[in-house]
Amino acid sequence: MSENPFKIIRSTDQPPEHLRSEVIGSVKFVIMLMRVLQLFVADPSAALFEKVRIVGGSGTSRTDDTTKPPTDLPPTRS
Amino acid sequence: MFRKKAKPVIQLSDEELVAELQRAMDADRFGVLYDRYSAKVYQKCMGMTRNKDISQDLVHDIFLKAFVNLPKFDHRSKFGTWLYSITYNYCLDHLRKNQRQRTSDLDDDLLEDGADERYEAELLSVRSDRLAPVLEALEPGDRAILLMKYQDELSVRDMMDVLGLTESAVKMRSMRARERALAKYHQLYREEP
Repeated sequence: MSENPFKIIRSTDQPPEHLRSEVIGSVKFVIMLMRVLQLFVADPSAALFEKVRIVGGSGTSRTDDTTKPPTDLPPTRS
Repeated sequence: MFRKKAKPVIQLSDEELVAELQRAMDADRFGVLYDRYSAKVYQKCMGMTRNKDISQDLVHDIFLKAFVNLPKFDHRSKFGTWLYSITYNYCLDHLRKNQRQRTSDLDDDLLEDGADERYEAELLSVRSDRLAPVLEALEPGDRAILLMKYQDELSVRDMMDVLGLTESAVKMRSMRARERALAKYHQLYREEP
């Protein structure tokens, strides 16, 4: 019986060397994206807005700022 | 101090590597799986597309898809079978998107008894230099099913898993693919011996 022609035409080519580094590079990029995403999902405010608060006023909001005197009261005279 | 020395990554089985990757993503460990399977995946893609550039793109995307979907791998099948399934289905999707649908030359009437066995014998006696153009002229789904059956010698059970079809659907598709391959062969080589 003759040999199966499907076996004869089977490709024996090997993938080029550079393909490995491309695949692994993409995998590393995906890992990085997933880590950023995990960080964001775990605590979005900590991931993005913590720095903004620190720069804005040492972690206190503007409404808590007591350094300004109230403006709607008249000044008192002694 | 008393901890068992860890096995070198290269000595881990596919399933052990996958389990480790499911616990923690690691490009180097995935690289070991790439080294084990890249040639097979590339050759499958070449068999389906007959084009080196397209096959390289497909290999890249298939391994990336496998990596992203590793958390979903449930260890019910071997890793190789799972990757094979991704490879075939990804190649099929690609070919279907990029090839216009060819209309069937055959009607859907059922074959007479014994005709399918004769078709199989005839298909397997086709000269190999004529088989490649015949496969190339077929619709991607037909080409995939013939390669699975006659080149990779997958069982009906494995084909059911890869294609997500019932046993009768796999058998019917195999039969139709054989019919269409032979019709194409006769169309291409009608005059020649």
